[in-house]
Amino acid sequence: MITVGGPNGKGMSKTFLGVFEPVLFARPYLKNGTRLFILVITAGVISNVSLLLVPVYIGQAVSALQKGTFSSIPNIGLFIILAYAISSIVNFIVTYGAQYISQNYALNLRKDFVAHLVRKKFLFFETQTSGDLLSRGSQDIEQTRNFNLNMFTNLFPTISLIAAAFILLFLISPEFALFLLFVVPPLIYLGMMSSRRQRPIWKQIRDTYGKLGETLQENIVGQRVVRGLAAEKQEIEKYNSMTQEYYVENYQVVRSRVFHNSLMPLVVAAVSSAILVIVGYEDLLNSYNVGGLVSAVLIFALLTSPVSFLGRMIIFSENSRAAIGRIKEITGTGDEEFVEQSQESLSPGILSFDHVGFRRGDRIILKDVTFKVMPGEFIGITGKTGAGKSSLVNLITRYYEPGSGSITFNGRNTRDIPLSLLRSRISIVPQEINILSGTIRDNILFGIEATDQRVKKAASLASISDFIESLPSKYDTMVGERGLTLSGGQRQRIAIARAVLRDPLLLILDDATSSVDPDTEIAIFENLKRSMKDTIILMISLRASALSFANKVLILEEGELKTDVGGEEGLNVNRI
Amino acid sequence: MSTGYDAVEDQYIKPVKGRKTMFRMIRDVLNLKRDATVFTISVVIYAIGGVLYPLALGLAINSVKAGQIRPLLLYAGLFFLFYLIQFFSNIWINLSSVKVAQGVIKGMRDGAFKKLQSVPLDFYSNVKLGYLISRIANDAESISDFLTYQLPSVISGVTTIIIAAVIMFDLNTKLALYSLVVMPVLAVYTLAIQPRVRKNYLATRRALAAITGNLAETIAAIRTVKAFNAEAQTEGRFGNLNENNFKANMVATRLTSSYSSVIRFLEAVGIFLVIYEGSLSLLHGQISLGILVAFIAYVQQFFNPIVQLTQLYNMYQNSMVGASRIYGIIDSTPEKMKGEIDVASFSKSIKVNNVSVRYDGNVALKNVTVEIKKGECVAIVGRTGAGKTTLTNVILKFKFPNEGDVLLDLKELNEIETNAYRKLIVPVLQEPFLFNGTVFENVEYSKRGITKEEVQRLIDVYGMSEIFRNLPNGIDSPVGELGRNMSEGQRQAVSILRAFVRNPEIIIMDEATAQIDSRSEKAIITAMRSYAKNGTLILISHRFSLITLSDRIIVLEEGGVVQEGTLNELAKEEGTFRELYKRSVSSYVSGTGGF
Repeated sequence: MITVGGPNGKGMSKTFLGVFEPVLFARPYLKNGTRLFILVITAGVISNVSLLLVPVYIGQAVSALQKGTFSSIPNIGLFIILAYAISSIVNFIVTYGAQYISQNYALNLRKDFVAHLVRKKFLFFETQTSGDLLSRGSQDIEQTRNFNLNMFTNLFPTISLIAAAFILLFLISPEFALFLLFVVPPLIYLGMMSSRRQRPIWKQIRDTYGKLGETLQENIVGQRVVRGLAAEKQEIEKYNSMTQEYYVENYQVVRSRVFHNSLMPLVVAAVSSAILVIVGYEDLLNSYNVGGLVSAVLIFALLTSPVSFLGRMIIFSENSRAAIGRIKEITGTGDEEFVEQSQESLSPGILSFDHVGFRRGDRIILKDVTFKVMPGEFIGITGKTGAGKSSLVNLITRYYEPGSGSITFNGRNTRDIPLSLLRSRISIVPQEINILSGTIRDNILFGIEATDQRVKKAASLASISDFIESLPSKYDTMVGERGLTLSGGQRQRIAIARAVLRDPLLLILDDATSSVDPDTEIAIFENLKRSMKDTIILMISLRASALSFANKVLILEEGELKTDVGGEEGLNVNRI
Repeated sequence: MSTGYDAVEDQYIKPVKGRKTMFRMIRDVLNLKRDATVFTISVVIYAIGGVLYPLALGLAINSVKAGQIRPLLLYAGLFFLFYLIQFFSNIWINLSSVKVAQGVIKGMRDGAFKKLQSVPLDFYSNVKLGYLISRIANDAESISDFLTYQLPSVISGVTTIIIAAVIMFDLNTKLALYSLVVMPVLAVYTLAIQPRVRKNYLATRRALAAITGNLAETIAAIRTVKAFNAEAQTEGRFGNLNENNFKANMVATRLTSSYSSVIRFLEAVGIFLVIYEGSLSLLHGQISLGILVAFIAYVQQFFNPIVQLTQLYNMYQNSMVGASRIYGIIDSTPEKMKGEIDVASFSKSIKVNNVSVRYDGNVALKNVTVEIKKGECVAIVGRTGAGKTTLTNVILKFKFPNEGDVLLDLKELNEIETNAYRKLIVPVLQEPFLFNGTVFENVEYSKRGITKEEVQRLIDVYGMSEIFRNLPNGIDSPVGELGRNMSEGQRQAVSILRAFVRNPEIIIMDEATAQIDSRSEKAIITAMRSYAKNGTLILISHRFSLITLSDRIIVLEEGGVVQEGTLNELAKEEGTFRELYKRSVSSYVSGTGGF
């Protein structure tokens, strides 16, 4: 889609046009924005032209005074006020409109970002760090929004200011306009040089910033390990060397641009000095009036500050382009899965694995796994660490796709069951439990709607209701980042309640009771078995006590399945 | 969200209040002596250059009028010279301001990070990760922006206003007064709307913080979101916050946009007054044309910094709030009782002596006395919440007892230097934390200079090679963020390896093998006991198979020791232990043919 620019853009015009990459990127996010767009740009032009009229009037006033015709002064004064008034009213449209556009852009972009993010496949998240994804969704988007805002409030107005200045100067005297022509090419050249020089460093700065955040986060999360291993000094050194790197890169980026950026206003000043000398000399010889000269020099003076701001725009633009690259990696459609709601339904049935094989890279994780489970059965899955237990259940919900063989539920290949249906009828309680900030009720509901009664029922099946009832605010107790901190066992039981509430056809407990004491664990299993008659329960566990509860135990050894008889006697737990 | 985003943490950290923050930041800036000096001087020079060029312009125009070539050349030359001065001083401002800004925030970040390594661990249960990240990573950035871009504007703005005012009054008092007549209006107006500006601004800040918080949570919980097909609901939750942020920003913009329009209008009035009064004075021969032109330019110049300064106010407030919080972190009280006695070895025993621990008034341990001898393998068991982890925290010096003490070879733990102590004792914690890197890098973290061959050998010795069998590149496989690419059991195995390579005197394992199968577990523990002959092992576990490997068992219930003895002794005794392991004990008894 992007045809211009890019870090390796060849040729001067391409590199220069690359400045507008953010505009092209922004287009889809500015729905129905065309009219507002035109309004804001027009307002920007009007605002600047009327502002430029002020020096022209001042020049006229000076000429009038020189001639001694004082009578025209009040009129000129009124014109000045009028010009300012127009400029200030119109300027409101520019700042407000530009903010509206940029906020609207960010609103839509964020929406799109999250929509794509939540649809990425599981594998995608294995290669990302959460800190990095967060900074793409927050800082990077803000960065591009900021550039968009400045584009309307600064970049377009400055360009129109230069154009308007050219016309006005031409009207005063073509000679002045000629002077302005000298300014434009060096400005473009300087701008390009500056942007080209700083681009690579900006990329580095962003990376280092990301690393700084990651290191900090890891250090805080792993604080007990750091202390336990007495590695504080080591950590401080690591962090300090990163902040040092950040310091140096930030200095380098300034050094790379400072000369060219500072030269931009100087070019304008040099030309206005030249006007002052050359035109002043002509006026002096021919005793022309100096009104035109005053106007011209004041117009040039008006140009210096926006022109020096162009330098800042280049920084924003470079930053923004780096950010766009990172955002696109998410908003691009690769690595996504279809999770939209479906009208179909699923009824209880047999789960069957038919010669299923699965590998990651060169490693074989599962080979030729075949088994069948009937509705209402409670199946234990066990095996040594690394045997492929979690991989096996993750294939059912299609977090990963099997390499060979097929998995069917109630006779349908899971591949042909819409993901939304599959995942809403199969509940999994994973090893890693997430508790979101919100109430306990919110956390059990997790997006679906259900009566209080059902929530309480689910909690009681998960043997967590007594605990919840003992809290002062009961189900309304805040948990997560800003609330009560729950123990591992409590978190696991909330997650079980969450899964049970969905009344699943297949419930997968991936070592979901490892932090619950054996008594409670058995109580939970009994509850589940009693109340979910048609549900298949697959339980991964290493505990003999838990496995002895199952009707049947599947033992995985290096990716291969060994079936064991159920019950207390048959269970050959000592073998595993 | 209604109680203010960071309210909880602010109570705990106590950010430095008000002016103190500003003075402290100024002190931080001034500590960078050379850069701060270059910075200040170049900003002032820059401002002076800017103030003087309208004067040169006016004088040049006077020369044109008077028909004098030499003064024209002189003043036009000066006119350019002042810009040239600005060019050079601008370069110096840029270079020195980035050094000052980055220097200050590097100092803040390093200081905060260092403090985080020495605060009591309770700190982390009150102050959440999100707060610390957004303070040390993001707020520091806004401080840097303020110092790099805004501070030069403030200094040069103030300098410009002062010098311009002096020049104007010197040139013509009456005209100077006329041009300043709108200033009081401007000041009153600005002060009047400032509270609303501030309120709006805080609202936008909160709205954005809410978005970021929600996004962070969604990313952290992404696997659960997908597991429950809650993608659409997640989008909905985010969408509401996104809309709120949009609205808050538009409200804020309406006010600031109208403010800048009013300012521009006031500027017009100021220029009009100067032209009107100036032309009268000109007619009466009180001033020259050139001076009038210079005056008009001054009025315009005057307004720029004022407009800037008012816009800066928000940025200033913002970075001050950020700075006050970072200073708050830096000023947090470090853990007391770092201890001074250096210990190099462990020879007899570690004794928990009549220890009681309370969390917020709840008793976690009461009058616990436990002695563990060198070379022993002791299992600590009990129900969830019995106080097992609290006991390990006390032994690890993570938590200080409210009463009683811990003695290492009869020396009080509080007086033993913490770092030296932690070289003797290494924990393997309940939740295996891994750094983002490879398996090998994680092991190397605790013993620098260890080779891959050695690590591989240890993996074989401890019978862990099967655990890692499915890693694509063996010990060079990346573990992913927080080790997420691996299973919990694999993470625990890495975390165990990391402790073992230290070869410490004492190892504490807190449910450290809960996700490892019992056969591997047995291999690990047995290998370890034969490998480190005199090593002392403290095992906390629910799991019966692990308990069978211990020399002695301590049973905790409701914060107190209720039973103590060997497996054989406890299996015979009526009590908590038998209740907990009914099934296992009976099969153990039958399996070994009784006692």
